[in-house]
Amino acid sequence: MKNAVAGDYVEVHLTRQIYEGVLLENPEPGIILLKLDSGYNIGFNKKDVLEIRVLEKSLEKKEEIEIKKDENKPNIAMIITGGTIAARLNPKKGGVDWLDTPESLFKFYPGVFDKVNIVKVEVPFMKASEDMDFKDWQKLARTAEKLLNDPNIKGVVVTHGTDFLHYTSAALSFFLKNLNKPVVLTYSQRSIDRASSDANLNLQCAALAAISDIAEVMLVGHASSNDDFCHAMPGTKVRKLHSSKRDAFKVVNAKPFAKIFPNRIEIISDYNFRNILKGTSKNKVKLDLKFEEKVALVKVYPGQNPDILDYYYLKKKYKGIVLEMSGLGHAPTKRARKSWTKKLKQVQEKGLVVCAAAQTVYGRLDPLVYSNGRELMKTGIIYLEDMLSETALIKLGWVLGHADWAKDKKIVREKMLENFAGELNDRLD
Amino acid sequence: MDYEKLGFKCGLEIHQQLDTKKLFCNCQSILRKDEPDFIVRRRLHAVAGESGEVDVAAKHEMGKDKEFVYQGYDTTCLVELDEEPPHEINKDALNIALQISLLLNCRILPLTQIMRKTVIDGSNTSGFQRTVLIAQDGYVETDGGRVGINAVILEEDAARIVSRTPQAYPEKSSTKIFTKGKDEVVYKLDRLGIPLVEIVTAPDIKTPEQAKNVSLKIGEILRSCRVRRGIGTIRQDVSISIEHGKRIEMKGVQDLKLIVPTINNEIERQIDLVKMKKSVAEVRRGNPDATTSFLRPLPGSARMYPETDLPMLKISRDLINKIKKNLPRLRKDIEEELNRKGLNQEMIKLIFKMNKLEEFRELLELVSNPQLVAKVVLMLPKEIASHKKVSFEKIEKILNKDILAFVLEKYKKRKISERQIKESLERIVKGVDVNMAVKFENEDLGNVEEKIMKIIKEKPGLSEKAYMGLVMKEFRGKVDGKIAMEIIKKYIK
Repeated sequence: MKNAVAGDYVEVHLTRQIYEGVLLENPEPGIILLKLDSGYNIGFNKKDVLEIRVLEKSLEKKEEIEIKKDENKPNIAMIITGGTIAARLNPKKGGVDWLDTPESLFKFYPGVFDKVNIVKVEVPFMKASEDMDFKDWQKLARTAEKLLNDPNIKGVVVTHGTDFLHYTSAALSFFLKNLNKPVVLTYSQRSIDRASSDANLNLQCAALAAISDIAEVMLVGHASSNDDFCHAMPGTKVRKLHSSKRDAFKVVNAKPFAKIFPNRIEIISDYNFRNILKGTSKNKVKLDLKFEEKVALVKVYPGQNPDILDYYYLKKKYKGIVLEMSGLGHAPTKRARKSWTKKLKQVQEKGLVVCAAAQTVYGRLDPLVYSNGRELMKTGIIYLEDMLSETALIKLGWVLGHADWAKDKKIVREKMLENFAGELNDRLD
Repeated sequence: MDYEKLGFKCGLEIHQQLDTKKLFCNCQSILRKDEPDFIVRRRLHAVAGESGEVDVAAKHEMGKDKEFVYQGYDTTCLVELDEEPPHEINKDALNIALQISLLLNCRILPLTQIMRKTVIDGSNTSGFQRTVLIAQDGYVETDGGRVGINAVILEEDAARIVSRTPQAYPEKSSTKIFTKGKDEVVYKLDRLGIPLVEIVTAPDIKTPEQAKNVSLKIGEILRSCRVRRGIGTIRQDVSISIEHGKRIEMKGVQDLKLIVPTINNEIERQIDLVKMKKSVAEVRRGNPDATTSFLRPLPGSARMYPETDLPMLKISRDLINKIKKNLPRLRKDIEEELNRKGLNQEMIKLIFKMNKLEEFRELLELVSNPQLVAKVVLMLPKEIASHKKVSFEKIEKILNKDILAFVLEKYKKRKISERQIKESLERIVKGVDVNMAVKFENEDLGNVEEKIMKIIKEKPGLSEKAYMGLVMKEFRGKVDGKIAMEIIKKYIK
């Protein structure tokens, strides 16, 4: 039993039956999984198995693939961080393998190589996006900076899990200053082992976006359920709005930069043009990675106790908080059973920065319309116009990370309302 | 033909749709005939083989990805569109598959894994078919001996092909980007996901006649469970070989009349091919004239890998025992039971033909007179339909189980006579209120008569027809016209 490893062809002996097949990795503890010759997998409880006899050891086949570099194609680099798009199920063993070399990428996504050479693949870490935090974003930005400042590389594609992808895209938007080339984040919602995977179109379009003139941090993914084109979406104006659909990401309070087909680009809105001044220092991207971790995002709901602010501020010593407020920017006021007005004033006087974003997702805040809004506004809340709450959280962390800004509430307000990376849009249509 | 001498071997593969909602989502299994509500355009691309070999790249070089158009309806959900992970396996469908497995004397696997079988002809939006091995090592007994059942599998049906020609979907559709003249395959999503049970027999069948018997026997077992009925709901493949010949799989040979001649024709063809040493393993399509035509070479074993969106499927002892206790009985056994109750062969046949067994049994519990219940369930609705020139379907809808039970209850309580059952039903079909429909002269005749008398007194000298109009207005159809006319006639005279 001890000798048998995943991949071996074995006999599994039970008290009354013997099964033959390929031993697979355990899907859960206490279970032995076997692939029958018919292709079906069946399981056994470990305690029912008397013996596993190896009939044939598995042969590790190593196939050498050579990717020919085509001098006529532009070069791009790829950063792989994890997620569905970088994982492949190894059906022979039953476990997951990572796609983290140009060769393995070519093996599974040959379409990406149609228009570009992928000359560098960097793997700063392998994580599901829900496991990442600002340290990962900083690491990612450093990796991107090196690649972007390589004159041999036209653009960078980052593959990433979908869950918190829009937080990463916002972070990179603030961290990478003086952006000279495209930084394209892409994803997949359907794993690549299926013929229907969305990764294929997303990657082909991402590669095309990476060699375009759109020098922005953008997210490229399906524009609809159809496999026809993707949208290039601004990194600070994008949000995951569906848990499972291919077109899970939508631009909020702005327009996509472009429609991207596998073989052409249709521009939709203005963008920062690729810097073509070669060899000058102006052409170099710079890092601004400062980040204050003590920031939080809190959603306001009916009847909520404002003590939550004490928890963050007094107990946990938070520096800033983004409130996802109702409607045009409201929370329970003096007329409510549990009013927030007094508490908001208190914590802000003590130094907590309180910003407001819209929990409606779409639309702009305006505290002046209703008396409730005016009452809350007087407490000093910074209303972040049409900024997405997730982007607001990242931006608040970034702004408060700058000690010379954070020391003065007035500067913080100024910076939060300054448009650094397209996070604010003064014209909604 | 001496089949033994020929080294004839034969096995069946039967696919039967189950009569439940879909296997991995909560959609109804409804096939649509109307125009689709929307379309979705997808591409399927080559996927890496089991061991991750480089055939993807090779295939990519060979040609562009295939494009498919899927027609959806308001009955289509995100699972069918491959836009949402599968829901937990349909418990009803699983239970039926377990019933079938037990009736086929199979050993049920306590722990099994839902698999993805790679399918890239576009008939599955996901690029694979979800399939799970439920049971193994069963058998059916036939006159020609025992035939083994290798596997009982539960899987999802594929999308229906609509056309391979361009422009086969409505031009007014919301998605405007389509290229004219491009060769595309169009599928309807309505059939995708309907639960199928696949039964694979061992190659134990020794004669074409036995193949037919096995098919009959398995068919009978299937129909004793909750399965869909009608054309297209059962599909049978017959695999045969003769000595020195290769395996031939013949698809769509489910018509009982065609099984024997189709096999015999193929054997003759194989005998010639073997002589010329030209027998090749292939898949053929069964034709209505009992011949077959080439479909494709026999594929290698299917590429399968786990459905990682779902946990291992555990089938507990408790569940198996529960299903064992409630196993449906086979038609043969039921026929014997009905015969013992005194129904003749004609009635028994009719009960099955009209699919009225459940209704019959329930009503029999109310009135333990099998002859009468059979008459009420099987004969009267038909008679009324032909007499009133109304479609049987409509009559069946009006005279549903509850209505029949109501009328029989009145009979049981001696409120109406056996003879009046039919009349009550006729009145109900006519639209008479059910409570009124079971009221007859001996009960309320006095009341009706009194009112009619009053009407005639109030307006003397009118014609029979005129009185009839007034009476009907008074009772608003709640009294039988025949009876009313009799009373009117009585008083005019």
